[in-house]
Amino acid sequence: MTVITGVTCPVCGTFCDDIELVVKDNVIIDVRNACAMGAAKFLSYAAHRSLKPLVRKNGELVEASMDEAVEKAAKILVDAAYPILYGWSNTSCEAIRVGLELAEEVGGVIDNTSTVCHGPSILSVQDVGIASCTLGQLRHRADLIFYWASNPWSAHPRHIERYTMFSEGRFQKSTWRGYLSRLSGGLSRKRLQRAVNLVLRRDIFTTPEVKRRMPYSMFQKKRKMVVVDVRKTRTAEAADYFLQVEPNKDYELLQAMRMLIRDEELDVDEVAGVPVETLEEVADIMVGCELGVFFFGLGLTMSEGKHRNVDAALHLTRDLNQRTKFLIMPMRGHFNVTGVNIVFTWQTGYPYAIDFSHGYPRYNPGETSVIDILNRDEADASLIVASDPVAHFPRKTVQNLVKNPLIAIDPEVSPTTLLADVVFPSAFVGIEAEGTAYRMDHVPLPLKKIVEPPKTCLSDEEILRKILQKVHKMRRNQN
Amino acid sequence: MITLHPKHPFKAPVDAECISPDVFAEKSAKEIAALQIWEGNRKRTLSGLFKIKHENDSSSKEFTIRICGDVSKVRKIGAKMSKGNIIVEGDAGMHLGEEMKGGVITVTGNADSWTGSMMKEGTIEIKGNVGDYIGASYRGSTQGMSGGKIIIHGDAGYEVGCFMRKGLIKVHGNIGKFAGIHMRNGTIFIQGNSEGRAGAQMISGKIVVCGHIPSILPTFTIDNVRPKVKVNGEKVEGPFYRFIGDLADGGNGKLFVSKTKNTHLNSYEEYL
Amino acid sequence: MDIAIKNGKIVKKVNAKKAKIIDALGMTVMPGGVDIHSHIAGAEVNSGRLLRPEDHVNDVEVKTALTRSGVGYSIPSTFTTGYRYSRMGYTTIMNPSMPPLEARHTHEELDDTPMVDKATYPLLGDWWFVLEHLRDDLIEECAAHIAWMMTATKGYAIKIVNPGGLESWSFGRNVQNLDDPVPNFNVTPREILRGLCKINKLLNLPHTIHVHTNNLGKPGNYVTALETMKCVEDLAEGNRPVIHITHCQFCAYKGSDWRTLSSGAEEIAKYVNHHDHVTLDMGQVIFTDTTTMTADGPFQYGLYNLTGNKWVNHDVETETTSGIVPFRYKRKSSVHATQWSIGLELALLVKDPWKIYMTTDHPNGGPFTAYPKIIAWLMSQVARKKTLSKISKRARRKSLLPSIDREFSFYEIAVVTRAGQAKALGLTQKGHLGIGADADVAVFNVNPEQVDASKKYKTVRRAFKKAVYTIKGGEIVVKDGQIVKPVFGKTFWIDVKTSLPMEVNDDLKRKFREYWTVEYENYPIPESFLHVPAQISVKAEI
Repeated sequence: MTVITGVTCPVCGTFCDDIELVVKDNVIIDVRNACAMGAAKFLSYAAHRSLKPLVRKNGELVEASMDEAVEKAAKILVDAAYPILYGWSNTSCEAIRVGLELAEEVGGVIDNTSTVCHGPSILSVQDVGIASCTLGQLRHRADLIFYWASNPWSAHPRHIERYTMFSEGRFQKSTWRGYLSRLSGGLSRKRLQRAVNLVLRRDIFTTPEVKRRMPYSMFQKKRKMVVVDVRKTRTAEAADYFLQVEPNKDYELLQAMRMLIRDEELDVDEVAGVPVETLEEVADIMVGCELGVFFFGLGLTMSEGKHRNVDAALHLTRDLNQRTKFLIMPMRGHFNVTGVNIVFTWQTGYPYAIDFSHGYPRYNPGETSVIDILNRDEADASLIVASDPVAHFPRKTVQNLVKNPLIAIDPEVSPTTLLADVVFPSAFVGIEAEGTAYRMDHVPLPLKKIVEPPKTCLSDEEILRKILQKVHKMRRNQN
Repeated sequence: MITLHPKHPFKAPVDAECISPDVFAEKSAKEIAALQIWEGNRKRTLSGLFKIKHENDSSSKEFTIRICGDVSKVRKIGAKMSKGNIIVEGDAGMHLGEEMKGGVITVTGNADSWTGSMMKEGTIEIKGNVGDYIGASYRGSTQGMSGGKIIIHGDAGYEVGCFMRKGLIKVHGNIGKFAGIHMRNGTIFIQGNSEGRAGAQMISGKIVVCGHIPSILPTFTIDNVRPKVKVNGEKVEGPFYRFIGDLADGGNGKLFVSKTKNTHLNSYEEYL
Repeated sequence: MDIAIKNGKIVKKVNAKKAKIIDALGMTVMPGGVDIHSHIAGAEVNSGRLLRPEDHVNDVEVKTALTRSGVGYSIPSTFTTGYRYSRMGYTTIMNPSMPPLEARHTHEELDDTPMVDKATYPLLGDWWFVLEHLRDDLIEECAAHIAWMMTATKGYAIKIVNPGGLESWSFGRNVQNLDDPVPNFNVTPREILRGLCKINKLLNLPHTIHVHTNNLGKPGNYVTALETMKCVEDLAEGNRPVIHITHCQFCAYKGSDWRTLSSGAEEIAKYVNHHDHVTLDMGQVIFTDTTTMTADGPFQYGLYNLTGNKWVNHDVETETTSGIVPFRYKRKSSVHATQWSIGLELALLVKDPWKIYMTTDHPNGGPFTAYPKIIAWLMSQVARKKTLSKISKRARRKSLLPSIDREFSFYEIAVVTRAGQAKALGLTQKGHLGIGADADVAVFNVNPEQVDASKKYKTVRRAFKKAVYTIKGGEIVVKDGQIVKPVFGKTFWIDVKTSLPMEVNDDLKRKFREYWTVEYENYPIPESFLHVPAQISVKAEI
């Protein structure tokens, strides 16, 4: 039995690197420090996997040798006039580097999952810029933390504990004690409510009035957390203040905030369902903080307005820097979705949706992004790496994806691998294969190899390298 | 006059920057046939993808290219052109007339997104509908359309006139959200309805909405009620509410919205 | 004269019958170019790339059978960066600003930058450990920590940016002068500079401290630059330099505001001419659209306020900050034109070319691809006059250039573009063609004995744009301005041996979780992470 420390967790963008694993006979038997998502991944990652490469023959996926599968995959890519290479956020930077070379060699379009998550954020960063930082900076210094349209309590479970409210920094103290007392207060209130209702045999507490006034804690000189969302999430329950915004009205709210922090007046009494007086109070607190931060999630990037919501949020942050220090950071989903943007950018100049069909990188999301290409039915082959678009893309998009030759590289069995023509089961990166990945704040960390993969499962990087070599050879023979 | 007929329906996108009177005018028939064009990642010649017919047409002095058939996947038709005419009888693909400096493009069907993006001069007329980002800038740039005219007889999509600097976009039909976003100057004239957020983050310029708009952004302030408004020299009868914005960006753009079609906005009148 | 090359080195002679012979008669032969300060890789550069699709879209490199594709202009993609340097005859590039926490990123990019040898400088001036140790005057302990950091991040030199200012910027503030204490740490920029200068000597690092001064980019800052040089004057021994002031043009401004901006080049040159402990690089401005990026967060914020352009800020916990703002230098702007003039004035007024090197602080003053233009300006008064005639009148009136008739010789160009830079960096095998040197050679199609560069500056400019041959490690990698053989370059890194490594490890381990959000064991980069590592071992005096 060995204990391996300092393991990075290949699940979400928080990318914790303090996981401890207990390994016995090449099996992980215990996980420490991880959240439920991380623990589940380490303990049962291998539940649904196939071991051998598969190739579709007469409509059936049958086991094949590695060479046969590589040959077939290479042929599909070389023959294609407009292939797409998609996925990449759940694999290592090393594999992504090979993937880019492959895309360039076959003249394809390479895109990653940010096209369906924070792609809009990137578009607005390209218009406005972004004032950001690494997460430790916030742990040490931030005294006002906004989670806007994101729910870390459920989606990034250790984010609050490691980097914001409950973390202890050099200049800011953890607020977990305050949270505990609030939590127990809330529980006793609920218990009391239940007892009274039982005695009186009727519900005396009808829906509570929306809290217009700021709670006292918002005016204290300590760390504060504000949640802005369309519904009261678990994160919102833990917050000092919750601002409920009408669905699809974030843009209006953010733009109005921009005026209020400059002490200008609005012609309206209410914005996005929030009275302007409340907004003015929030604006005062923003301007008065030492260092504030917005974390924003897909609620902003994928609701009405998309990149323009983020555009307004980035502008708001920028404006706030005239009065105090304020930063902003997208809550990235997959553990290496930040890395994939970074690697794409250093090799091609662009972060996603890159079209190599003319022999050099071209970029124009909407034109060169995978979903749009599939919706217009332009691609004639695809390679999917470490992603499951069949399960996640819109139906029409999927139809156009699966009607053409499809290659999948994935450690798991997924709807995409089931519909593919060539399947390479790979090793789980971060568990069975090493590499590099980037945390949501651009901090690079190593992915570790904890256990040996099954002999037939190569890493994504190795499989891609084999395909690339084959493609090189075929193209040389063609010329 | 040269007429192009696509030889087969296209699947992969076709990049045809060479379809431009400027390129054709100086070339022999043979040279035109040999012009390079991309179909997906394959290099083709113009004659490989199109049937090319040369006609002597003395009626017009200007060089004219006529394209008959579905070229909705053919991108960059008339890009950077500075003179002559292009007539598309059918639907045209993306980036039609991108960075064009002069001449006239007419499309009888629909046109796709980025039509007239970064255009400097000339006229584009679309009889059908268009996609998004009409007259816009390239990603990351603030240099949108800086002159010329785009006339759309049908409906237009989102972010029309994004980072527009000068010129006129006229939409006879309805328009999507964020018309004139980040607009620096110029005019957008919408005869139909707007889906909203018109003039978001505009710095200057003029947007006229003759139809219905669901709401005005909170960062606009009402300024006046005008009986009529001048668009490109012609008078449009109102009355119109005139809003100023986008104040969040310190903007001084003018947003005119029909008073009669937008009775839900009359609460603004108390500020007048 | 013949130059013999064998096994990647310059040797006394080779068997002429078996060797491949390159006839460079009537051409200029120089050692491969060395760039002491060029932002080519890492978090900041890459954020700049991401920020600016409009910068890349019209300048592309198409894939060939040998080379990868990419994009160019002010912040080229990694492969393109390597190819473009190599085509100009450069073979060694120093990446001057690396946040230690993100060192892995820098090295990944350097691995993807082909054709050149490279190294990178970790940013250490505002690292909490440095601030705390220097506040408590614990020089040796601090030195041992820096040694650990140099090895952990596979770095090459100590980079100091706006000492004290970056920690202040973490709360949105800045320091104003060398004696302005850093909030919460009670240590002054002067103490940081002097401390690190002493440490640099204790550790026997091959390069000096590499300093981006306080108040960079502010009118009147030549005083700060002079004070920075003076503050380590007494630490010099003999004529060895102990401080490198980088992109000096940006800290050679006189005047009280932008309207009254004028050149402080004369004062700085005068000081440097009388002192041997300082080296400089130009940070020349080119009239073009470029992207400014430095670790100087407050400076970049000021630039954003000035221009209203898009702005990226990235603060790194316990270590540093950074910022990016696109910028266009216009000939007709009196400020920009004065900046242009100051860069050249510095190079021309500093008498000894071994003390000032040619850079644009790529991409801050302009992309490195503009180097041939600077060479022409340095070599030809006519070239300078021609540009002078096109700039803002106000700037022309203030410019000292018309009064300077110095013109660089080819030899002096070789010093400011390679020999001097290699010497300052302590890269003994670079920057010359003596026996034992690395066989990095550049051949340019211009005859130094016949061409009068003063008049034929266009010929010179053309020649330096495209090397006829670039030889890297004994291999012909460029011929007639085309890449003929792609090669990886080495990454130099310093392994500092001290007698205190254990104590440092314990101290760091104890404080690690308090200071950073990553684990101690995930911080250092193993040597195997680098594609072609080239370790340089030095023995420290502690």
